[in-house]
Amino acid sequence: MTTYSGVTHRKVQVQSNFERYAFLFMRLSGIALLILAVGHMIVQHILNDVHSLTLQYVADQWSSWGWKVYDMLLLFIALPHGINGLRNVLEDYVHGESAVKTLNTVMAIFLIVSLLAAGFAIASF
Amino acid sequence: MSSLMLTLRESVRYRGRGGHYSWIAHRLAGLGILAFLMIHVWETAMANYNPPVYEYAIAVFKHPLFGLGEIGLMGAVLFHAFNGIRITLLDFKPEWWRHQAKSVTIVWGVFLVVFVPIAIYMLSGIISHCGHGANCWAFPTYPVS
Repeated sequence: MTTYSGVTHRKVQVQSNFERYAFLFMRLSGIALLILAVGHMIVQHILNDVHSLTLQYVADQWSSWGWKVYDMLLLFIALPHGINGLRNVLEDYVHGESAVKTLNTVMAIFLIVSLLAAGFAIASF
Repeated sequence: MSSLMLTLRESVRYRGRGGHYSWIAHRLAGLGILAFLMIHVWETAMANYNPPVYEYAIAVFKHPLFGLGEIGLMGAVLFHAFNGIRITLLDFKPEWWRHQAKSVTIVWGVFLVVFVPIAIYMLSGIISHCGHGANCWAFPTYPVS
């Protein structure tokens, strides 16, 4: 146990469980999104603005493996980060056990279907 | 319903100084980003599955109202990113908790310094697009010719 000017800091061993992994995932994916999501905003919304966006622009980008991998990483990190964030927010306001279960199921299905559909769209373009 | 109203009112009520407002802003920004992200993922997938739908979606996004939304999205992503760094650092560095109040001010300061010039740049893009003769307020019709 260490005390830093008024803040007591004690290391405890936490048993591994889903919420602990979810907590760590939010921090690690957050760090990845600092580069992926902020980079995406800079490239697609400042350097190229929406007025120069065309189907041809997308075709040009997805003809390059680098952009395919970038967009795939962004998809598979940002969407789970967002859905887990929504789950955390809802947990603060919805308390019924069955309601939480239903919402979690709906969010999980939406997440998986979206990842498969959009991931296949990028991969097969 | 009354419990929902209670939750909302108590969420906004001043409780924890600056960090409380950061918490609210982080939540709202996250929810806003997710709302757009869910649309964006499916709309962009249409570039492959159904190109006319994709063409229509990007025509809608070129409307000035969506342009303002895009500036809001930029602000939300930047604030969520900077505040997320703060949260992560404090989660793993309890000895920095005594600087909590200062960290909140730093995040808002960095956010404003980065976001304001970008917002002005993006706003000028919308204005110059609308200045090029075409009726920029006209809402696109499907299919886009």
